[in-house]
Amino acid sequence: MHELSLMGDILQLVQEDAFDKGIQKIEKVELIVGEITNAMPDALQMAFDILRDQNLHLFSDTAELVIHFEEAQASCVICGMEYKPDQKIALCPNCLVPSGKVLSGETFQVLSYEGSNAQ
Amino acid sequence: MKVTLRTDVLTNNNKAAEFNRELFHNTKTLVINLMSSPGAGKTTLLEETVRALSKNFRIAVIEGDLATERDADRIRALGAKAVQINTYGGCHLDARMVAATLGEFDLDEIDILFIENVGNLVCPSGYDLGQHHKVAVLSVPEGNDKIPKYPQMFMRTELVLLNKIDLLPYLDFSVEEARKDLSEINPESILISLSARTKEGLHEWFSWIEGAYERCVLQ
Repeated sequence: MHELSLMGDILQLVQEDAFDKGIQKIEKVELIVGEITNAMPDALQMAFDILRDQNLHLFSDTAELVIHFEEAQASCVICGMEYKPDQKIALCPNCLVPSGKVLSGETFQVLSYEGSNAQ
Repeated sequence: MKVTLRTDVLTNNNKAAEFNRELFHNTKTLVINLMSSPGAGKTTLLEETVRALSKNFRIAVIEGDLATERDADRIRALGAKAVQINTYGGCHLDARMVAATLGEFDLDEIDILFIENVGNLVCPSGYDLGQHHKVAVLSVPEGNDKIPKYPQMFMRTELVLLNKIDLLPYLDFSVEEARKDLSEINPESILISLSARTKEGLHEWFSWIEGAYERCVLQ
């Protein structure tokens, strides 16, 4: 979708927290990216590489991005079956009625970061 | 040193959305975020909406586009207040952009604020602007495949306005199929068929707005 601006938001969240904790060099950022968030892991990786290289006062030049992909899962409120939704997100493959609720795949979080006080 | 955050990536957007929501709540302003692909007819639909509802409601519009004041000018020509946001390449409106324009409105003097998002069926659906309702506009010439191809948009909206139904006799679009596709993605969403050009079906959209306004004021 607009991964460069999303990565800008991500790095801002990390930067603010690191500043509060006196952390000066970020070495790693970990994200959870859900399958139905419209954010593409490859594009996030590219955006991270670009922004890291522009912000070496904050990032180590070997800083890495780790993405934990969260698969989409849904469950049917009628039969209780859990299924992996295709584009027909609410359609339960067992009951064949739109009775499914999304359980996972919508998470888009900064999970953690690692850094040090070294200059 | 490892620091666990577990913070939503859109945290800052969501804070701005809460700021907007509180303002809208305190001033009893109904806010509707209209989204669609480019050319679905959002602005024409808003022109007809402003024309029809200005008798009973004080309406204002925020227009989102990459460039130009064209859409805001079309709304201003009808006598309604309109503020244009230009995103200069940005593919969606975010809550901070909306918050930054709210100073230009006297929300106490506005009953309904429409936010016309940047024409795009992907990104706008992911951003909470603090609105009461997210509405998608789909138009007949775009074809039936748009609902299954862009499921997040239709999953995250509660109403689909199917515009340009005056073109149904000339194109292979099935309203029944669109209803079925929509129900399989979001069974709670409703579909209203209309044509901003011929005005067919517009009354149903206006009734929906009036109902939403009553619920907003009673809150």
